[in-house]
Amino acid sequence: MTKNKPIGTEAFDKHYGIGYKVGHDGFSPYSRVNKLRKVFLNKRFNIDIQRARLITQTYKEHPELSAKLKTAYALRNILEHVEIDLYEDELLAGELAAPAKAAPIYPEFSAAWIIDELKNHPFDQRAHDKFYITEKDKEELLELLEFWQGRTVADAVEAEFTEDQRKGSEMGKKVYMTNLYHFGGVGHFVMDYEKLLRLGYQGLIAEAEQYSAALEESDSEYTQKKEFYEAMLIELRAACTYINRYAALAKERSSQEENPVRKAELEQIAENCRQVAGGPAKTMWQALQLWHFATTITLIESNGHSVSYGRMDQWLFPYYKSDMERHVITKEFAQELLECAYVKMGNPSKLKDRMTVEVRNGRGWGGESLTIGGVDEAGNDVTNDLTFMLLEASVHTRMMNPWVCVRMHENTPYELRVKTVECIRAGYGHPKIFNDEVAVKAMQRKGMGLAQARNYAVVGCVEPDLPGQEYGYHDAAYINIAKVMELALNGGQCIDCSQYCPRYQECAGAGRTLGPDTGSLKKFQDIGEVLESFERQMKFWTDQMCSGLNLIDKVQKERKPLPYASAFFDGCIEKGKDLGEGGANYNFTGPQASGIGTCADILSTIKQLVFDEKRYTGEELLEAVKDNWEGHDVLYALVNSSKVHHYGNDDDYADDLFKEVFECYCRNITGRKNPRGGEFCPGVYTVNANVGLGLGLGASLDGRKAGEPISDNMGPVHTHAASHDISGPTAIANSVTKADHSLATNGTLLNWKFPPECVAGLEGRENLVGFIGTYLEKGGMHCQFNIMSNEMMKAAMETPEDYKDMLVRVAGYSAYFVELGKPLQMDLIRRTELAFS
Amino acid sequence: MPEYGIIFNIQRYTIHDGPGIRTELFFKGCPLQCRWCGNPESHKVVQQPGIYPIKCIGEDKCGCCTDVCEQSGSLIFHDHKLLAIDRQRCTNCMKCAEVCPADAIKLWGRRVSVEEAMETVRKDVSYYNSSGGGVTCSGGEPLTQLPFLQELLKTCRQEGIHTCVETTLCADWNSIEKIVSDTDLFITDLKHMDAAVHKQYTGLSNDRILDNMQRLAELEKPLIVRIPVIPGVNDTKENMEKSADFILGKLKNQVEELQLLEFMRLGEEKYKSLDLTYPMEGLEFDRDAFTLKIKDFAEYFQSRGISCKIGTTTKEGKGNDKEQAYRHRGI
Repeated sequence: MTKNKPIGTEAFDKHYGIGYKVGHDGFSPYSRVNKLRKVFLNKRFNIDIQRARLITQTYKEHPELSAKLKTAYALRNILEHVEIDLYEDELLAGELAAPAKAAPIYPEFSAAWIIDELKNHPFDQRAHDKFYITEKDKEELLELLEFWQGRTVADAVEAEFTEDQRKGSEMGKKVYMTNLYHFGGVGHFVMDYEKLLRLGYQGLIAEAEQYSAALEESDSEYTQKKEFYEAMLIELRAACTYINRYAALAKERSSQEENPVRKAELEQIAENCRQVAGGPAKTMWQALQLWHFATTITLIESNGHSVSYGRMDQWLFPYYKSDMERHVITKEFAQELLECAYVKMGNPSKLKDRMTVEVRNGRGWGGESLTIGGVDEAGNDVTNDLTFMLLEASVHTRMMNPWVCVRMHENTPYELRVKTVECIRAGYGHPKIFNDEVAVKAMQRKGMGLAQARNYAVVGCVEPDLPGQEYGYHDAAYINIAKVMELALNGGQCIDCSQYCPRYQECAGAGRTLGPDTGSLKKFQDIGEVLESFERQMKFWTDQMCSGLNLIDKVQKERKPLPYASAFFDGCIEKGKDLGEGGANYNFTGPQASGIGTCADILSTIKQLVFDEKRYTGEELLEAVKDNWEGHDVLYALVNSSKVHHYGNDDDYADDLFKEVFECYCRNITGRKNPRGGEFCPGVYTVNANVGLGLGLGASLDGRKAGEPISDNMGPVHTHAASHDISGPTAIANSVTKADHSLATNGTLLNWKFPPECVAGLEGRENLVGFIGTYLEKGGMHCQFNIMSNEMMKAAMETPEDYKDMLVRVAGYSAYFVELGKPLQMDLIRRTELAFS
Repeated sequence: MPEYGIIFNIQRYTIHDGPGIRTELFFKGCPLQCRWCGNPESHKVVQQPGIYPIKCIGEDKCGCCTDVCEQSGSLIFHDHKLLAIDRQRCTNCMKCAEVCPADAIKLWGRRVSVEEAMETVRKDVSYYNSSGGGVTCSGGEPLTQLPFLQELLKTCRQEGIHTCVETTLCADWNSIEKIVSDTDLFITDLKHMDAAVHKQYTGLSNDRILDNMQRLAELEKPLIVRIPVIPGVNDTKENMEKSADFILGKLKNQVEELQLLEFMRLGEEKYKSLDLTYPMEGLEFDRDAFTLKIKDFAEYFQSRGISCKIGTTTKEGKGNDKEQAYRHRGI
């Protein structure tokens, strides 16, 4: 088998159609998969309060315990007592301490917003991201949450924020947003699945016991370490108990089952659970079952999202191979298992606060990346059967999860490129593509050796990460660099400063400005002075953001240790240190720059109109944006016209300024220290925060009016008046790759949107294969595609019920189009639809 | 002495005129005036202003164009918005297009040197290489600017860039001969087999065109022949039969491919921009029946042994030979 060329269950060039198709419920050749998918899509999003009830009980009963032990006792209480269930037709068991698709509550992170929203902004009355809760549960939840007031992660963060940190943050003017880890868990890692499957829980327990026994009382951190091991062991054992509960339930269901086929399946599920409730996986089915339990329990312990699956075609392969060689599985059944697993990954739902939802729509957890393809430690291509099968599972299920990522390099087989493009052309927003050459270089910049760097997997949207080795705090914050630019041009003062600002009394009213006065466009003599002001302003705000993040880091460590998750990272057991204490071998913090295109076009406009052509003075430009362009019609038209140099047109005039901004941000982040003994890593992407960040921002000199979105990820500017890129996709690709993407060690993101007719036919397929290849050769780190027409999106806005499974690449992550907020839907439609004609 | 061309558009990432990802240069000037032409801005070889009233921000707020116009009254406004240009008065000085801040007056036709054109062409060389693409000269009629065309093709050739010329072939053979060696692929139309009807709808007879096509075929030059199928003009069985006879007879089936292009209402807004009436304005026809008819034509050509497809792309799952070819490209 291994001698043959890798292949899926279908021909590598099987065509799946072009663009999203309405009303297709059956993409998979397996009726079970289609049925499970349909049941999932039709299920309502509820709130489940069991987790909140059980954790509150533990914390109330054991006020004396340390945070680690509280976490451990609470997880044990949940795993032992939460109601469990098995669903019709399923082949894999296990949920999120809540029924499928219901969101559990994590009161230990933040409670105030849940109370506020339950009382004042009911979840079922949101414009999007609705959730449902019964009156009875609402009452009980409110009572439970009272206990948490003052005890949460968020409470501690808020108590310790300095005025400078607060005023720039989500609690102030949103120059940057650290809300994800301020209000919730961190996640954003890949556990060591290879080790878990090989050793089983008992193997990890034995290792922890061994290190715990060997710990000497003379160790300066003896108590903390001993407690860490104790907590970890409680949790690992609780995991085994929990899995055994499923084994018993499956056994019971099988004894009641009359259909002999299903009876046998339930029997096997029981056997699988029995085996992996401690033991290693012996088959592919058991491997998937153990992987699923291990991951969901991590989510039950904490509420960090983007807990990603690593290089699944690699760590799962030995089990597939052995099953095939022993003839205990057919390729078709292996495929069906993978597809069942994909549908299952859609179940976990997460309740997010109003503010987060405003900038990041979607009720899934988000960010569960699954990486396939790429090279081994020696640089050889590793494509195997599973690489193809995992892609097929993706196009057969077309679910939001997992976010499949194909690693590409110069020796990626042609067959895999075609399969990837066929999936992309099907228009459901997957897979995304990562460039090995650039990502490996980024990993090396993070201090890893070449062999290790080659083992990277993608976490969340676009963050390169080392599975089982790295606690990367990826996606830690979004900084609105368009706002930083505004302050850099206007003496540190907001362009829309007025007495209606909630901070007016303490800020302008008291003769102050939001940021330091680093100069004004009224006085700058050349573009160099503008850039210098931007640099100083950037320094100030990245100082505030990073120190704020370090404070959050400290609070997370103190209030919410992760002894269970720590068991899956090299270094933690060995050192007796929790992930939060820097137990992992690599520790980073990754905040992202948002609005790079906006900044590039602002600078280009200033350089051309003020300094080069001298058509306007800096003061006139400032006046125009202060007036939100009103009364400045000619200037407004001009800055949005093709007569001004714009980023994204392969025009060095503007692209050089893009590069300046890119490097300025990376320079200001790289090398800063975090409390876990690691460093900060810059990312340059917005996911879809560009809409939310734009909402609160005054007019800007790129031709944006107040409230419009800032530029999307690494993409060019699209204002209400015009799309600033007018030279087609190759020009965008050339512009974007003028910066060295490997400097953004926490990732870059580029969205392409092509109308279906432009990728049609064999020619369309081959052109896309070629286009992607060249974009990567030029040094693009990542890209992903929407293949859909504007007409289709408009139709979806009008009759969302007909489009409920229409996936769309919303910036970094994939979501269901009809679940997005209206402004984001409009933004998507407005993005240049790239015509190839 | 560098050669200059009048080009009304350089479009990157075109995929329909020739193989792979291409950069397409649209030349201004054309001997024919086909009624269904989608590029009316290509007809005259001179620079012309084109107007897009919807983008005009209003003479009262702006007035940049009237300030520079030397022929007062040639810019016509309605409700302060630019409505039309009096083409009798306009001298095509292009000053208004240069100053318009809103892209409401567009310059149709830019004077570029071969080197300037090549600067743009070179930017996408790596995309041509990965997709098997290159440069396409289209229009208008590229042969109307022969010295520039020759120089451009020669330069591309020297730099290893695949060249394609989309031409009416309505020119002296002497002219065509000059570009034959530097052109990798020709694309041309078989608009109508009847000389009189051809003249009626395009302004000129087809003799020279057919003759030149035959010569190209004799030289075994890679050639793609297109029939733009226009309702009521050339969509008869008789015309298709004659076309097939011609391809099999005079051309000895020496064509890479015959492409049937279904009529679309292209260029309507461009006619308006030039204050021209869209010649196909009143045309009404049953689109579904028309599409089916073209399918029948394609089957007819195939039945006679001519490699024929509708449109410019090969349907998935039907191009196995082609697929092999792609695979050998070694992407």
